[in-house]
Amino acid sequence: MVNKLSAFLYFLLIILFISLNLFAQIENSKWGKADYSYQMPDRFEHRDYSFNEKNPERFVLKSVLNAYWFFISDVDGNNCSFSPTCSHFFLLSVKKTNIIQGSLMFFDRFTRDMDIFGKVDHYPYAQNGHYYDPPSLYMLKKDSINYIPPSVVVKNE
Amino acid sequence: MNKIIFLLIIFCTNSFSQEVRSTQSLNLFSPTNIKKFGDYLFCQHDYLRASIEYEKYLQNSFNDTVSFKIGLANLAMGKFENASNKFLSISQNSVFYNLSRLEYLQANFQTGNYDTYRDLYENLNLNSHYKYFFKARELYSFSFLFTDNPLPQKKIFLNTFPEGEQNKIGEFYSWKSDPPYKSPVTAALLSTVVPGLGKIYTHKYSDGIFAFVTVGILGYLAYADFHANHNFRGWLFSALGAGFYGGNIYGSAASAQIFNAEIKFQFFNDLKNFLEEHNYFVPLINFCK
Repeated sequence: MVNKLSAFLYFLLIILFISLNLFAQIENSKWGKADYSYQMPDRFEHRDYSFNEKNPERFVLKSVLNAYWFFISDVDGNNCSFSPTCSHFFLLSVKKTNIIQGSLMFFDRFTRDMDIFGKVDHYPYAQNGHYYDPPSLYMLKKDSINYIPPSVVVKNE
Repeated sequence: MNKIIFLLIIFCTNSFSQEVRSTQSLNLFSPTNIKKFGDYLFCQHDYLRASIEYEKYLQNSFNDTVSFKIGLANLAMGKFENASNKFLSISQNSVFYNLSRLEYLQANFQTGNYDTYRDLYENLNLNSHYKYFFKARELYSFSFLFTDNPLPQKKIFLNTFPEGEQNKIGEFYSWKSDPPYKSPVTAALLSTVVPGLGKIYTHKYSDGIFAFVTVGILGYLAYADFHANHNFRGWLFSALGAGFYGGNIYGSAASAQIFNAEIKFQFFNDLKNFLEEHNYFVPLINFCK
């Protein structure tokens, strides 16, 4: 009887050790090292090639820009120093104003893009490291100007 | 042996029950201890938990110091509405009455409700003999510099402030009464006459030079191509040149607006820094000595 009891107790002890071990395994996986990636976070501007434009001017513009993005820009790389890029700025400007005002805004942006000396002093940074320069600043509406000092990194673009 | 083990267990259980009894007699959740814990958290700048403990304390007791401290804690956390409500709840009999009214006013100033601040200052029946009343009066004058309302006369305006600081505040007043804004129309006209000149007028010097060079080169190319009977290229460069010329006129007007927004931003920044540096706000009572 005593032998049976001690055998049962040994059995219980073994079960206890095994279950402790199992628990330790779970803890180990919980606190184990995470898979670390040294890859830079993807902050590239993903192109929207969709055609949702009902306005004929915008439809033509979107077609031209889609062709430019597909055949030139995407192949060439993300090289525009501004965010949004000049082509995207053009599209946004036309969407927010009209084709004439949007074109004028684009030509002005293109001239500013050619300026290789003055950008640091005038523009804040977008999260992708480019100069943040949204169309809302150039719509000639005082209320739409949200001034952000240079060198500041804009979080909510 | 078994008896000894049994006795040991009984003895240990007994000592443990003694411990529990001594802890229970401490009553950690008595109002006094809740307040003490709230005071500790307040002094540790843990304002959120401090205000929670204080609110618990106020459910069973009345204490105007605690109410005032909840107001201060909310102020420190940026919860201006809660702070204002708490400051307003302090009764006229309290020693914190005058101070809480000033803190309430100040909460409105710090949230940028300058018009509300002025209305409250005029209608709140503040005690003008209170030692910090002059601070509310100074902030009242400053509130005019933050809004587009007409300014009071310069002499009356400056009389509110100590003599040593009147020069600097006078500069702020002059800026506000005649801000050095750039006219978008002038900028556009200047760029119409000479491409890029409007940008230079708004202090975007390199932008102006690049605009002048771009329009100049495209204009020259158009002229040279027409001269050489290359009409297609002539029209192409003309169109591009016209686009850049028009874009520069438009951009100069936009640049003037951005310039104005920039100097306005800097003015408000300077003004806020001045207020912080020269202690124009009501001094905080040190409750954690």
